[in-house]
Formats: sequence, structure tokens, C-alpha cells
Amino acid sequence: MSTADAQASLASSTSDDTTGQIRITLTTQDKSVAVPDVPLYVPLNLKRYGLSEVVNHLLATERPIPFDFLINSELLRTSLQEYIVQKGLSSEQTLTLEYTRSILPPTFLASY
Amino acid sequence: QVDVAKEEAYRSVEEARDLWQRHERATADLSAALCEQLRLILEPTLATKLRGDFRTGKRLNMKRIIPYIASGYKKDKIWLRRTKPSKREYQIMIALDDSKSMSDSHSVQLAFDTLTLVTKALERLESGQLSIVRFGETCEVVHPFQKPFTSEAGAQVFQWFGFTQVRTNVHSLVEKSMALFDEAKSDTKADMWQLEIIISDGVCGSHDQLQRLVRRAREQRIMLVFIVIDGLHKSAETGGIGTMSQSILDMKQVAYETDKETGQMSLKMTNYLSSFPFEFYVIVRSISELPSVLALVLRQYFTEIAEVRE
Ligand SMILES: [Mg+2]
Repeated sequence: MSTADAQASLASSTSDDTTGQIRITLTTQDKSVAVPDVPLYVPLNLKRYGLSEVVNHLLATERPIPFDFLINSELLRTSLQEYIVQKGLSSEQTLTLEYTRSILPPTFLASY
Repeated sequence: QVDVAKEEAYRSVEEARDLWQRHERATADLSAALCEQLRLILEPTLATKLRGDFRTGKRLNMKRIIPYIASGYKKDKIWLRRTKPSKREYQIMIALDDSKSMSDSHSVQLAFDTLTLVTKALERLESGQLSIVRFGETCEVVHPFQKPFTSEAGAQVFQWFGFTQVRTNVHSLVEKSMALFDEAKSDTKADMWQLEIIISDGVCGSHDQLQRLVRRAREQRIMLVFIVIDGLHKSAETGGIGTMSQSILDMKQVAYETDKETGQMSLKMTNYLSSFPFEFYVIVRSISELPSVLALVLRQYFTEIAEVRE
């Protein structure tokens, strides 16, 4: 995540502090990048890039691996906040995110 | 008196009565045990010391003897008496989390058990006034201090919990409780000790802001005890595909922090409970644990009161 991106996302999280976080769990079919099965409490403004960063942090990877995220087998294309609003959910729910190594081209990734 | 309108009830009075009785029965023994433990803690703080200048009494006040003789036996208030322990010295508020994150059946069960157990024990103890509030997006009084807490009152309280609120605003809960305590205090004595027991799954947003508020509550001599219902949540609701169990003890908090030197934002991962803003909290996974842990925390609290009063 670029500094500008992160700062922008942080600004939005502090301006809307009370709805700021959500519980997630991360799962994967790919055993080579599996993370411990623990609940995480993450900022709602995280998108795919931020979530990738979380997985990479848990994996303690030297070079970051880009990931895609699926909720109920549907690719996450927005922030978690936008996702729950679209689906009529709330931050009281726990989201289960399945991640896979990203197959999207790097240039496309950079635009996130 | 209460902040909720009759139409808003989640269940009928009959259903609520039935539910209350079931939980009351299930926790009767534990409630008796908690009551006994609390009695042991409270009694020494309730029994007052010998004091005063009285014409008759239990023991002579040695400081008064010389003035008594010097006054030609006129200043005869030379006796100490044990003054009656005063009733209603404590006000206890119980706040139950009504948010959706509580809604899995295990948490609801545990929360209702906790509520009946604690209220019954306190009622039997006659330790003071009892109020119950619910919180989520907002915070409402569902049982005011002024009303005696009977089983019927308890049953009515159960009507107001549907666990459907889509936010958990602990900050506004603490703020409102402080205002309620302040109000309740004004029509009684000034040296009232006030205790709030919060029953929740413990998932409660910004820790920093809360910490400041908790400190302010403490300055106003409001004691906050947080009972974390560790529901072993299953993520099988909408969006969930797994059924793994999740304890708050394992939960990690993800946040972005600015590096002081570079000014860059970086990801920080910490244990959720390591920054939990409440000083006194207990984690409960089965109701049988509750009496002893709660007694432990309250003993600490009442010991502090006793020390202040010395
Ligand atoms: Mg909640």
C-alpha cells in the first residue's frame, strides 16, 4: 500500500471512528500460504491491498505476495465497508474471507 | 422511567416470564453461592465503627473523659455507640450488550444466565439499588434504580433484548451511564459508591477513546467491571463458510500507525485484549465460572471502598 493510500484510508477511518472495525477470519485452500486460524479485528476501510498486507504480515513473507479475496465465492472488489453496505450486512458480523494467490496482472494490481 | 416503548418489545411478557424463570432456575445455586461470597465481602464494609458523643453507649470515649471531669461532669456525652449500618449505600447498574454480535445462541444463553445470576444475588443481598440498561447503537434504561427488582421486573427486562442492534457503541454506553449515575446520586447521599457491570462479547471499537472515558468514570468513583462473554463464536452467519471456534483471547487487532521517524503508515498487529480499556474485566466461557471470578473482582472493589472509608 502506498503512503498516500494508507493515509487516505486512515483519514477515513478516523473520521468515521465508531463504525471503524470488523471481525474477519481468513481461510485458504492453498496450504503453502495458510495462516493461523485466529479471528482478526480489522479496519473496515481495508480493500484487497490492505488485506493482502495483513496476510503477508501473518506469513512474515520477505517479498509480499499479492492475494485475491473471496467472500462466499465472490471476488471482493471494494472495501469491506462498501461490501457490507452493498450486502445489507453490519460490522457486527464476522466475515470469512478466502484468499488465493492473485492471478491478476501486476499493472492491474497497482491500480488498487 | 424506562427509555423503551412497549411496542418495541422483542417478546411477550408471558414469553419473557417463562424465559426468566428458566434462567433463574438454571442459575439458582450459583446465584446463592455468589450472594454468600458477596455477603462475606460486604459485611465488614457495612458494619460501621464505634463513633460519636452519646450520653449512653457501648464503650467510653477516652478523649472525652478529661473535659467531662473538667466541666464538673456537665459535658457528659462520653460514650461511643455503634451506629446502624446504612442501607442503600451502593448503586449497581448492569449493562447488557444488545448488539447483533451477541446473537449466536451460546452468547445469548450465557448473557441471560449472567444477568439472572448477578441480579438475583444482588437482590438477595439487599446491597442497594439496581438498574439495568441495554446498549448497542444507543443505550436505554430498561429498569430504573427507583424500582424494586422483583422476578416480575426481571421478566419484563428480558422483553427488551433481541440482539439485533447493528452497532456496539460502548463509548456512548459509558457516557450515558455516568450521567445516569450522577442523576441517581443527586437525590441521595453524596458518598455513594457506584458500580457498573457490563455484560458483552467485548468487541468494542476504539480502545484509546474509551480508556480516557474509563479514567473519568473512575475519578467520579464509578467502578466499571466488564464481563466478557467468550461465546466461542462460529462464523456461520452470512458471509461465513467455516465453523471454526473463535475466542476473544486469540483475537488480533489490525491497525495502521504512523512511523514517527519516516512518517510512513505501517501495519501493526497486536493482541486485542492487550489494549482492552477496562481495568477490571473477567472472561467467562461457562456460567459456573462466574460467581468465583466476579466475587474476586468485587472483593477487590469493596476492599478499596473500605480503605477509603478508614
Ligand atoms: Mg457487538
